[in-house]
Amino acid sequence: MDLSQAILLRNSLRHNNVIMAYNGTVTDDLMVTLADLLKERLVANDEVKRSKLIFAVFMEGVQNLIWHGKEHAENMGMILITEHEKEITIMCGNRIEKDKTQGLKDRLTQIEGADKETIRQLYRDGMSNASEHEGPGSGLGLLEIARRATHPISYAFVDVDDHSVEFILAATI
Amino acid sequence: MNIAATDRTPAITLSQSPLKLSISGESFPEDVSAFYGEVIAAINQLTTTAKGKLEVEMAMVYINSSSIKAMYRIFEGLDAYRQAGNEVQVTWIAEADDDIMQELGEDFKDRFQSLNFSVEQHD
Repeated sequence: MDLSQAILLRNSLRHNNVIMAYNGTVTDDLMVTLADLLKERLVANDEVKRSKLIFAVFMEGVQNLIWHGKEHAENMGMILITEHEKEITIMCGNRIEKDKTQGLKDRLTQIEGADKETIRQLYRDGMSNASEHEGPGSGLGLLEIARRATHPISYAFVDVDDHSVEFILAATI
Repeated sequence: MNIAATDRTPAITLSQSPLKLSISGESFPEDVSAFYGEVIAAINQLTTTAKGKLEVEMAMVYINSSSIKAMYRIFEGLDAYRQAGNEVQVTWIAEADDDIMQELGEDFKDRFQSLNFSVEQHD
């Protein structure tokens, strides 16, 4: 990247009110560091209740990236936080294998059209679901994000090659 | 059992007389199974190592979804202790205005309806 491209990137970050952007390997240490930064900012700018919602969504989104990053050493994660008219949007993106997308798509379809009460019931069912094959939180993380978000979650799947897709999840609080 | 709190793991104490389990603080350990393993084991052994009323106090600040899974195991152990004929009283304490922890307490209460379970908000 040359300087003119860097300026374009900076302008784009400013124009879109990006307050945090990261692209690369997502580790546990990184999560803790970013969480502290975010906490400081939230304490300065937000009411306590909202801060807790934002923090919960951030943590679940990033833990999801760490989990998937462990499966594939070359996996890069993206974390993007933007602010627009007093609302914070947290986006997390990572590459996943194409043949693993169906289960995720099914769960997203179930969650995206659901009202808060339905999401809460799905969450309660998820708590007692002993299966841990999908990761440490075993599907609870996605429900946690949907539950804390003040708008319905949105997401995208972008084809990378024959075997993998980029998955991006966005939640606004 | 007496585990001191860290920035990302809760304080956990299990005392014998009176029989009481307390868990309080943050919970997002790097390795959830490693952290909660011995706690879950100790709770599961209660039916053979203890008898009588067990008081449980939980006051969490933040808890991630994988820790919630571990905490579910703890509640299963508590419920087994109750099923063995012992009284179990759970008090879940959320900080005032902490809707997330308040709701989570209600969710656990919903999952373990046979336990004496009160959800409270404290300043």
